[in-house]
This record gives sequence, structure tokens and C-alpha cells, in this order.
Amino acid sequence: MRKFARALAPAIAATFLLAGCGGGGGGNEATNTTPEETPSETATAEETGAPARADADLVIWTDALKIDAVKAIAEPFGEANGITVEVQAVSSDLQTNFVTANEASNGPDVVVGAHDWIGNLVQNGSIEPLQLSADDLSGYSPKAVQATTYDGQLYGVPYGIESLALYRNTEVAPNEPKTMDDAIKAGEAAVKKGDVESALNLPVGELGDAYHMEPLYTSMGGYLFGTSGDGEYNADDLGVGKPGSVKAAQKIGQLGEKGQKVLRRSISGDNSIALFTEGKAAFLVSGPWALGDVRDSGIKYAIQPVPGFKGMGPAEPFMGAQAFMVASNAKNAAFAQEFVNSGVNNEEAMTTMYEKASLPPALLSLQDSIAADDPDTALFAEAANKAAPMPAIPAMAAVWEPLGKAYSAIVGGADPAKTMKDTGKTIQEAINAS
Amino acid sequence: MSEPTTDTLTEEPTPTRRRRTVHQKQERHVLPILVKVVLLGLAVGIAAALTPTLIGLEKWTMLVAIWVITGVLVATYATQRALPAKYLVPGVLLLVCFVVYPIILTAQLSLTNYGDGTRGTKDEAIAQIIGSSVKQTADAPRYNLSVATTGSVTDGPFVFLLVDQESEEAYVGDAEGLEPFPEATVTDGFVTEAPGYTLLTPVQVNDAQQALADFVVPTDGGAIRQLGIREAFEGVTTLQYDEATDTITDTETGTEYTPKLKGDREYFVDAQGERVADQSWQANVGLDNYKRIFTDPRISSDFLRIFAWTLTFAFLSVATTFLLGLGLAATLSDPRLRGQKYYRAVLVLPYAIPGFISLLLWSSFFNRDFGLINTTLGLDIQWFGDPTMAKIAVLLTNLWMGFPYMFLVCTGALTSIPEDLKEAAAIDGASGFAGFRRVTFPLLLVAVAPLLVSSFAFNFNNFNAIYLLTEGGPFTPENPTAGGTDILISYILRLAFGAGGAQIGFASAVSVVLFILTGVIAAIQFRATRALEDVN
Amino acid sequence: MSQPVSGGTPATSTLQALDEPHEEKRATVTPPGAKPPREHKLTGMRWFQEIGWRHVVGIVAVLWAIFPILYIISAALNPLGTVVSTTVIPREFSLQNFTELFTTPSIQFPRWALNTLVVCTVVTFVQIFCSALAAYAFSRFRFTGRRMGLLSLLLIQMFPQILAAVALYFLFTEIGEAVPAFGLNTLAGYILVLLGGSLGQVWLIKGFFDSVPSSLDEAAKIDGASHVQTYFRIILPLVRPILAVSGLLVFVATIAEFLLASIFLTAGSKKTLAVGLYGLIDADRSNNLGVFAAGALLTAVPVVVLFMFLQRYIVGGITAGGVKG
Repeated sequence: MRKFARALAPAIAATFLLAGCGGGGGGNEATNTTPEETPSETATAEETGAPARADADLVIWTDALKIDAVKAIAEPFGEANGITVEVQAVSSDLQTNFVTANEASNGPDVVVGAHDWIGNLVQNGSIEPLQLSADDLSGYSPKAVQATTYDGQLYGVPYGIESLALYRNTEVAPNEPKTMDDAIKAGEAAVKKGDVESALNLPVGELGDAYHMEPLYTSMGGYLFGTSGDGEYNADDLGVGKPGSVKAAQKIGQLGEKGQKVLRRSISGDNSIALFTEGKAAFLVSGPWALGDVRDSGIKYAIQPVPGFKGMGPAEPFMGAQAFMVASNAKNAAFAQEFVNSGVNNEEAMTTMYEKASLPPALLSLQDSIAADDPDTALFAEAANKAAPMPAIPAMAAVWEPLGKAYSAIVGGADPAKTMKDTGKTIQEAINAS
Repeated sequence: MSEPTTDTLTEEPTPTRRRRTVHQKQERHVLPILVKVVLLGLAVGIAAALTPTLIGLEKWTMLVAIWVITGVLVATYATQRALPAKYLVPGVLLLVCFVVYPIILTAQLSLTNYGDGTRGTKDEAIAQIIGSSVKQTADAPRYNLSVATTGSVTDGPFVFLLVDQESEEAYVGDAEGLEPFPEATVTDGFVTEAPGYTLLTPVQVNDAQQALADFVVPTDGGAIRQLGIREAFEGVTTLQYDEATDTITDTETGTEYTPKLKGDREYFVDAQGERVADQSWQANVGLDNYKRIFTDPRISSDFLRIFAWTLTFAFLSVATTFLLGLGLAATLSDPRLRGQKYYRAVLVLPYAIPGFISLLLWSSFFNRDFGLINTTLGLDIQWFGDPTMAKIAVLLTNLWMGFPYMFLVCTGALTSIPEDLKEAAAIDGASGFAGFRRVTFPLLLVAVAPLLVSSFAFNFNNFNAIYLLTEGGPFTPENPTAGGTDILISYILRLAFGAGGAQIGFASAVSVVLFILTGVIAAIQFRATRALEDVN
Repeated sequence: MSQPVSGGTPATSTLQALDEPHEEKRATVTPPGAKPPREHKLTGMRWFQEIGWRHVVGIVAVLWAIFPILYIISAALNPLGTVVSTTVIPREFSLQNFTELFTTPSIQFPRWALNTLVVCTVVTFVQIFCSALAAYAFSRFRFTGRRMGLLSLLLIQMFPQILAAVALYFLFTEIGEAVPAFGLNTLAGYILVLLGGSLGQVWLIKGFFDSVPSSLDEAAKIDGASHVQTYFRIILPLVRPILAVSGLLVFVATIAEFLLASIFLTAGSKKTLAVGLYGLIDADRSNNLGVFAAGALLTAVPVVVLFMFLQRYIVGGITAGGVKG
């Protein structure tokens, strides 16, 4: 998620170039990471140096972080069906690699990825809709189902959900803040006392970070896209540049470098978590991916959903769902559908995914059962259930970069109202052009 | 099919041999000739070995390419003609195959709208759109599925042996429709044995996907479709495509969608302009991508500024690295200086660190509150937040990365300038620096001029230096597409790939324009160096 | 059709070059601890004016060159391995990052190093071979299209291959279907792409050829040597220093290439150090800094060693190369 946010938010030329152009391969990762695979398979893949999918009855692509978890559910499925299964980790830009490889019929049968890819994958005809029964679907967090549904069709079976929450260093800020204002006040007091260097670590960076700013933006009345009747985002209703967003921009400006200096461009995705784990920040806005680092650091911490500003709306961070999707050019379409429909879509597999991938689960029954043992993760699940799914529509690609840069400029002291209105115009033009 | 090719093959070596006899006049050159024959034979052999494969795969371009290459090699090395060609051919062939040819391909792509949303053909797009419109029939039962056949397990004809998951009644379904099938043996909810039918194993079902792809069992509410290996559901395709009118019709609402051009691509839209899907298809757009480059107000407004900075950046990068490198080389190459070796060894270290590592490192040094530079020097500069400071930061980093190269080159060049010339200058009464300026420097400049030119060329398109340091930033709120440190290549790539997904056709067009622009610059520089050569 | 001509630069340059090694030998052979030659013995102010200030400049330059490298070393030794906790002077010494480099399954460091070595070696040798051949032709022969050739070379060289990345991807998808050994995700295919730049060093080497008098070639020919013999036995050894320098340049450029590598080499076992390490830092710039720095250090070591090894060629001029041959 974090990697995604970083890759998308700045929507960087090269990343897209590389991947957009390139990609394809992905390939033989598994030959090295799966020593338990039969030797003969490993050998073939290695010899041919095939650029893409391995030769197996079911090929799954995922990223390096989740490969162990995916293997743990794919291998039993393979045994149960008497087929060979190959799970491959594609380390760089899985989404575009997948699109390119699938187009060239070099891709996998199943791909594991984030829900906000779906819009792009559908417009490229890269994935197939799924047909889960209504009963099955009702077992998942409604937000997760909403996130993986696109144009009225379900495209992914969600296993994990994530969103931002507020981490607090309880040694310097012992009391749970009710509002964002309280949090900032407590943080500033800690800075004044010299306990920490930063009141609130919210990554901004020189290029901005629209993902992490979203809770503040929404609390102040901003929105990105309006929703139509069926709850899907409507690309025709852009909220950037509207009065709510201007108000949010003004508040962000106040918190920025020319104001309270709570938000700073020197804090970015590169250092915000590390500064917090070093005890140099009172609060941190981050997601479940920071949990491991924060726990390892031995710092005393507490987590709560990101609170809104006093007297303003609730803070609504983005919700992201991680899901299993079926490739449109799958060589083994039947097994792919079978795996996603029955191999993944059950509590046992979902439990395995939760245990090995350490993401808050999307399955409601699992969310309940972990609440006692793992309150942190349960809290993240709760926060995600309240959050708004990140828009998956292709128009969103036109938002990340300009909006992030606008935040960065506003934090740096640019005129908030003008910046936000101009940005709205820029984004609208980009959407109109495509 | 390979008959005629093999003929050519067996004949091919013959001219080689014939020409060899010409060579044999000079008898002592047997070894080179032997090497030549073996290598040429190898080339012909490889081409021959690949021919059947290429024909089998119908890769005609590659087939022609391979034989042309072989032909060029034979023509060059098996004859006595064209001496320069013998020296030029290996490099030129590689250049043509892996640089020039891709440039041509890029130019071809630049005439299309290829990119995200337009990756497939129109037929593929329609098939995808229709295929994605299958909706489950509400309240219809789900079935446990066993696929069976009355014929072969690979080609069918196939039937679905179904067990209603709720009523547990067995059915048989084929293209005619669904019939109750009480004769079937049902175990654990699945038909496991059925008289007159062969049941397919899961692997067989999977392997027969091609044949099964369009197989559905029609019902009143739609059709029963396979879902994976063991399940089937009843659903209906809500969209239908009519080829004659080129129209997609929504069978639920009756809305008709026809192709309509928007931007560089067509979508199926209804009368109100609502799209049926975001998927479009690849098409030739002629010179539209080029038109867009020259007419897009966003591009034209920033172009000159960025072009100027690109030239400045490239020039200053070369000038600063050269001056520092030369200064250090001149300072440290005094023969009386002890420990020269150690100075040199340390000073080239920045060059030994792979560039992207240095760039990533330096980008963290410039952080205002936590970066090494501000914290060490006690500064409070927002390096990457201010266009001027960001430019300085980029140049500073590039200076660090580039000076060892210039130091090396200048040290080498300085040592090759004869001491007696320098001494002569000194005797003439020129002071150290004047002598250096009047005698050493011009000689040195001649020696390193081509390097300065290629260094300029490198920095002109030094994408990494910008992208890994500032990503082109800082950006003004009015213009999030053109940053303060953007050079042409980083700016153009952002335009093409930044907002709205990958626009590969458009990106190719800008690549071609950049290529032409680069060519013009190269030509100007070439003139400059020729002038330099003429001086001598 | 073509005729050998003398090089562009005045003949004196060769004489200079032949002269200079005495100077150079004095400089490099003198052990650091040995006394400088008597006639140069200087004292006090005079020493500082002539020599001493050079040390000052040298030391400042060394500091400037080395502080980021110290930072890398410090990061590599810092067990926390984060951006925030790293300083120029290491606060802790731990080899944990290096251990991680070799034990984490997703980091196949030895494999990447081997791949890099293969790629760099092949690319360097082929590029120098092709460039030296072509440079000789451009320097010695006057033929139709010579100027055009040189000009187009400069032009094409200025065009970054990355801009044609889409086309290269398609091209190698095709090639891979016919000859899987050269397809995407193979070292051989990646090497082929890089070999597109085989004429990259022509300009540099040609300049050096120009300074070698063509009377040498002619003398050899009068002795009855063939073109091939003249080239390989007489000319190439003479230009060995520039081959060493340009070889080093190619090696360094190749070891750092990651834009194309990240397109062509996506499988973990096929990666080069550059793309592998870049993947590390890109995935988590904050936490992976230590491991990344450790990898970067190990990557830089062979380059430094290679440089030390080639140093005498680089500053040594023609006869320094001739001493050995």
C-alpha cells in the first residue's frame, strides 16, 4: 500500500515509462524462492529463461511481501486438485507488468493486487469479472466489496483492507486526543518541551502526498469525486477546486511552514515512520504497514482512527482493499476461476492470508475473531471499514500528481485558495482530455 | 517448407571459399583467414539454424534481418573491397539493430494512440466489453458442476452435469437446454457417474477451455455458465453487439451505444454521451500526436523555459566539472608533489559509486530539516522547495558526480603534454598561470574537446540526475507539469506518462521530436568541433 | 576507394607523448615516503608556495569527494539502517546489514553480483573492441560518408535508448519467441540491448588514434604486415592506455545502468546489482538504507580496485603501456 501510494501519488514519469513500456517479465522469481517446488519444474523455467509465466497449471503473480502468504493458500489448492501451482513475486510495478504481460499472453492466471488498479485493468481489458454468490459476498466488509466492484461487476476477492490511522507516542502524549486540534496541541507542547522534534508526522515531501493528506482534506469538507446513486465514484463530479476543498486548503496552509509549522515538506514518506520510531515525533499518520517498525522500535505507542478537526466533519482516509483477480488472458482460466471462487473465498484461506500477510482482514467473521488477540490490527480494520474506498476510476490517475503538488505548495506557503482552484482546473482539463 | 532455404545454405559458403583462394596469394596470413572463415561460417550457420524456426513462427521481418546481416558480414569480410567497412561493420550492425531500428519502431508507434485503454484491437475490446457484462440472474440456483462429454475429452461435444445446490437434484444441460437427469449417480453433491457420458477430470476441464469457452446452457432467465471447475451459475449477457450496425445494445434498458471519437480514441457511447465502458482500442491517428505537441498550450508555454534550462544545465554541468577537474588535475600533477597516487585514488571514488546510488543519497542530503547539508553546515535552506536553490542543488550534485571523470581525463591529458613545451613557456617569462593558460590549456582543450561534447550530450538528456534528485520539482501551484529543475526529457516523459496513465503513442511522438532536437544540437556542436579541428 | 591519411593532430603530440613517461615515472614510482629529488628540495614559505598549497587543495578536495562516501559506510554499519539514524561518522559498528544482504531470501546479492560481472565484462569488451575498430577507420581512412558517419554517431549516441524502451520491449518479445535465450528477462538479451551502444567510445579513441603517427602503420606495411597484423600487433598496443580508460568508463556506466535493466530483468535471479539494489531502496527508502548502502559499498569495491589496477595506464601515457607489451 505504502509502496503504491508512493508510486502513484507522484505518478512519476519513469515509473510509468519503465513499466508501461516494459514490464512483461516478472518471471522466474519463483524458481529461486520456491525450493520446495519439484526440481524438474524449476529446471525448465531456469533453462528457457522464459520472460514470463512459469509452466504450471496455475500461475499466480504477487509482490515480494505477500508471496509467502499466497503460497500458503495456493499450494494446498494445488494438492487438492492434483495440479502444479507456481507463485511468482514480481518485484517492480506489478500492475503495469501484469497489463503488458497479459496483453502479450505472457501473464499469470491470477494476480494479487490493490483494488484501485481495477479501473485501469478493466479499461485495458486485463481482468475478468467474478461471480461470487450473494451469500459469499455478504461475508466481506461492505467497503471491501464496494472497493472491488467496478461498473457493477465484482473484479476481485478481497482478503485485506487498510487505511490510515493515528499513531501516538504515549510517553510524550499520554492522553488520547478527541480531535485533530487536540492532537496537534499535544504534539506542539511536546515539541516545546523538547521531547520531540515534530508534533505530527504526516508525509508531505517536496512533491506532496495526496494519500496521506486525505483525512485532513475530508475533515475540512473536501472531496475528490462525488458518488452516483450506486455508490460508485462519478468522474464528472470533481471536488477539487470546490468550496470545501478551498477551506481545507486554507487549514492546511495554516498548519504549514508559514503558519504553525506542523506540516513540513521535510517530512516525507522516506523519513516519517523512521522519525516516529526514533522517538522524534509525537504523532504519526500512517497505515498498518508501519505497525511492524513501530512495534520493533520498542517505543510506547497507541493507535486510534484519525480524528477530525473540532466542529468539522470526520476525517475520512482512503480505504484500500487487497484482492485476488483473474487475468483475462489466463492460460488456465478454469483453474483461475476455481481458485479465486473456492480456493481463496473461504475462512481458512482468509485466516492464512491474515496470519502471513499481516493485513487487517476483509472477512467480517475474521475481523471479529482477531479483535481480542490483535487489537492494533482490529483497530486498523475498524478504521478501514469507516474509510472511503480509494477511487478506482481511471480519472483518478489525473488527480494524484497535481493534487499532491498543490498540497506541497500550500504547505510551503502558497496561496491556498488560488492553488486549490487552479489545481481543480488542471485536473478537470486532464480528465476532459481523456 | 525448409527446402529452398537449405539450398541457399549449402551454396552460401561456396563464394567464401572461392574468395579465399584470392587471399591465399599472401600465404603467411593463413591464421587470420582461418579465423575469418570459421567466424563467417558460424554466422551463416546460425542464420541457417534459425531459419526454420522463424518460418514456423512466421517472423518474416526477423528472417530477412538475419539474412541481411549475414549477407553484410559475408560481403564485408569475404572480399577485398571496402577496407573501412571491415572496421566499421561490427559496431554499426549492433547500432542499427538495437538503436536505430528501435528508433524507427518508436516513430511508427508515434502514429498510433497506443497506451492505457487502447492496448487491444477493436474486436478484442468489444469481446471484452460484452464478456464483462454477464450478470447473475437474481435468485437463480447455483449448481455443482461436472463437465462431461459424449465424444472426446478435448473437443466434445460437451454437456454440463449439474446438481442444484439447494434441491440437490441432478440435471444435464447442453446447447439445447436443461433437462432433469435422475439416472445420474450423485456423491457429495456432485454427479460422479452418468450413463452414456465420460466425465472430465479437473485438468481436462482446464485444458478444454478453448472449446468450452462459448458453451452455455440456455435457460429462460439467461444461460447456465461454467464458473471455474466445479460450479455453474445462471446469468445473462446484458450487452449485445451487432456487427452490421456497429452497435452495442443493453438488453436490459434498450440503450444503444455507438462508437464516437473522443480525443484520440473511440468509445461506445449512448445518445447522451455516456460510455458503456472505459475500454477503447488501438488506432492509427496519423500526425495527431505531433499536432498535439505543437498546439497544446501547456506544452508550448513551458517549452522555451525548459529548453533554456536544459541547455544551461548541460553547459554548466560540463563547465563546472571540467573546471574543477582541470584545476585539481593541474594542482595535483606537479611531479614534486608527494602522495599524488593517494589523492588520485580518493578523488575518483565518487566516480566508482554507481550514479543512481549517489543521486539517491544526495537527494536525502538536501532535506531541509533532517538533511546532512543543512544540519552539518547549520543552514536552513529549503533546497528543493525553491527553484533557484533546487537548480543549484542539482548542479552541485552533478559536480560531485562528474568531476572525477574530468579530473581523470585532464590528468591524462596534462601528462601527455611535453614538459619541454611547458618549460619553454616558463623560459619565455610566462608566469606559472600565464604559461598554463597560453600553452598548456589550448593543447589540453584540443585533446578533451570531443569529451566535453559527449559530456554535454550526456547531460542534455541526463534523466537520472533530475528524476532521482528532484523529480523535476519544485512545482508552482499554477503548473504541476513543468517543474523548476525539469529538463526536456524529464518534462516530456512526465507529460506522456504522468496524468491519465501511459500514453505510449504520444510518448513516442515526443521521443521522436526530442531525437530531432538532439540532432540539431549535435550538428551545431559538430560544427563547433570542426572549427576547433581547423584551428590546428 | 579509401586511403590512409595522417591523423588530425600535429605530429608533435606523439613526441610529447613519448617524452612524458619519464616525468610520469618519477611521479608514480617515487614511494610516498622517499625524499624528493635534491634539486627540488624546498623549505618554508617557498615550499608552501610551490608545493604545500597543493596539499591544502588536495585535502579540501578529498574531504569534498569523500563525505558522501563516509555517509554510505556509516549507513552500511548502522544496524538500524534508517535514513534518520544515520550520520557521517558512524555511531555504531555492526555487520548486520551485510549479513542481511546475504541471508534475506529476496535479496540474491551473490547472484546479482555475478550477473553484473557477466554483463559488465561482455559489454565492456565488445564495446571497446567495436569502438576501437571503428575509431581506427575514422582516424586512418578518408571514405565517402566519413564525416556523415561521425556526425550521425554523435547524434544517435545522444538519443537515450530509454526513449525507445517500448519499441525495445516489443523487439525483444519477438526475439524471445524465436530465440528464448535472447528474450526478455535474460542476461543475453539485456547485454544485446546494451551492445546497441557499441560505438559509444569511438570519439574518445579516435582522438587518441589521431595522435599516433600514421608513419607507424606505413612502416609496418612496408615490412609486409597485413592490415590485420598492423592493427592488432602495432596500433592497438600503442593505444592501450586509452583502451583502458574508455574500458573503465564503459564498465562504470554499465554497472550503474538500471533504467533498461528494470525493464528487461524482472526476475529475481536475473537482476543486476543496479536494478536489484534500486528495487530495495525504492521499496522502502527509509528502512532499507542500511542494506542498500552495504550493497552499494560492495558494488563500488570492484570498480575502485579496477581503477587502482588501471591507474598506471590512465595517467601513464603511451610507453607506460609499452613497458608491459
